[in-house]
Amino acid sequence: MAATDVNPTALSLQADLRRKRFLKMGLIWAIVLFFVAWCVQGTIIEDTDWARVGGRSGVLGSIGRYLTLDWGLLPELLIPTLETFMMACVGTVVGCFFSLPVAWLGAANVTPSKMILYPLGRFLMVLSRSVHEIVWALIFVSAVGLGALPGILAIAMRSVGFISKITAEAIENIDAKPVEAIRAVGGNQFQVMYYGILPQIYPVVLATVIFEWDINIRRSAVMGLVGAGGLGLLFFRQMNSFNYGGVSMVILAILLLIVLGEVISHYLRKAVI
Amino acid sequence: MAMQALTRCNAGQATAGRNDMAVLTVKDLRVRYSAKGPEILKGIDFEVEDDDFLAIIGPSGAGKSTLIRCVNRLVEPSGGSIHLLGEDVCSLNARALRGLRRNVGMIFQEFNLINRMSVMDNVLSGRLGYTGNIRSLFRAFPRKDVEQALYYLDRVGLSDHINKRADELSGGQRQRVGIARALMQAPKLLLLDEPTSALDPKISREVMALIRDIALELKVPALCNIHDVQLAKEFCNRIIGLQDGYKKFDGATDTLRDSDLDDIYAMEVL
Repeated sequence: MAATDVNPTALSLQADLRRKRFLKMGLIWAIVLFFVAWCVQGTIIEDTDWARVGGRSGVLGSIGRYLTLDWGLLPELLIPTLETFMMACVGTVVGCFFSLPVAWLGAANVTPSKMILYPLGRFLMVLSRSVHEIVWALIFVSAVGLGALPGILAIAMRSVGFISKITAEAIENIDAKPVEAIRAVGGNQFQVMYYGILPQIYPVVLATVIFEWDINIRRSAVMGLVGAGGLGLLFFRQMNSFNYGGVSMVILAILLLIVLGEVISHYLRKAVI
Repeated sequence: MAMQALTRCNAGQATAGRNDMAVLTVKDLRVRYSAKGPEILKGIDFEVEDDDFLAIIGPSGAGKSTLIRCVNRLVEPSGGSIHLLGEDVCSLNARALRGLRRNVGMIFQEFNLINRMSVMDNVLSGRLGYTGNIRSLFRAFPRKDVEQALYYLDRVGLSDHINKRADELSGGQRQRVGIARALMQAPKLLLLDEPTSALDPKISREVMALIRDIALELKVPALCNIHDVQLAKEFCNRIIGLQDGYKKFDGATDTLRDSDLDDIYAMEVL
């Protein structure tokens, strides 16, 4: 069939369909563009201090102040950096400790009561994750006072959600066959968990804990902003005394710590898996 | 034909009846997984004597696995009675049930090993029913258990693989680990749930021979689900035929005729 032999009605139908599709896409894009423009208008254009951005000291000048590093702060950095690192470690361990019972309650196949404790476990997981670590820290600072302890508790509380959720999911996905075998040899509840379930979930749990520890280093670096110890406190003080070079030093220390955490967790994860 | 099967059935029970020391007596066993679901077993009666190597044959979905799991209550029966080693299995509380289960060795179709543990730890896990929580926590099994495990590992031919992880072994080797684990329980009855269907024909025959030899050696009766009729004829002294939850045949292996097999597997033609 030559190209000129095509049915004219089929051709016009095709043209019609194409025109409709073109109009539809155009309409969708117009709506998206309008929405973005509306957001930009509301947040950036109306809400910014343009006199400051365009002013004499300007944006570059402000940023420039951060570039003159305050090396005199170096000796003061050591202890808070260590404290930040320790807060992350202890917070993760405490978090793991609380995660196990929560995971046990919130895993559908092992929960002691499907009607009451399972929803409770799921609720605790959501609660832990839906409250920001700074908010947890504020709560614990008001509960136990300033220092590293509220930071550790905040990190632990924030870690529970993720670790217990992944653990519960790992428990729900286990192979039931070894569990059946341990039941068949006359094993009790503890033995079924320890021999039937734990060996299957522990690589996943360990990898998750290492990942969470890595994130917790970041979290513990900002804990001090609300008085919960570590580098954040130093950051807060430098900012308040307008010592921009000192702020940069703290940020560098945080960066170094995070890179260190990244390297360590990389090798740990390799060792586990 | 049905009459024939029925009379042979009765004959089987009569021969069973001559010995009062049946290890396992199952009467009118019924299983339903949910209140509204279909009945999987519809009134099964049979006995296992202390020198039996009993095969349960039948098409897929006949209820073979369910039947064997009722004996140690991995599946809860919904009716009938099971007497094992003089105890009423259905009336036991959780603790007494664990006590009973440790007397019943079980070997599984898919081996059901703990993959991330060593062969040795898998074999020792057969002793968990006799082991306290603290010892279990540290995997600190008594010396005599370890000696026993070494003996059985040698017996099943795995002396060279003791410290390997279970998932490093081949299928036949894994089933040997499963056998050693069941033997560690010092079982008074062996339950075999399709022990060879995940293995190739040659290995299947070796594994069945090993299980039969050990069962004879230790004088342990065995109850064995098996879908391979040839293997059942070769290794078992008695055969029970299940079809769709009913017992269709029960008798000595040499009384099983082709017409009985046609009867048992009648529905599978569809």
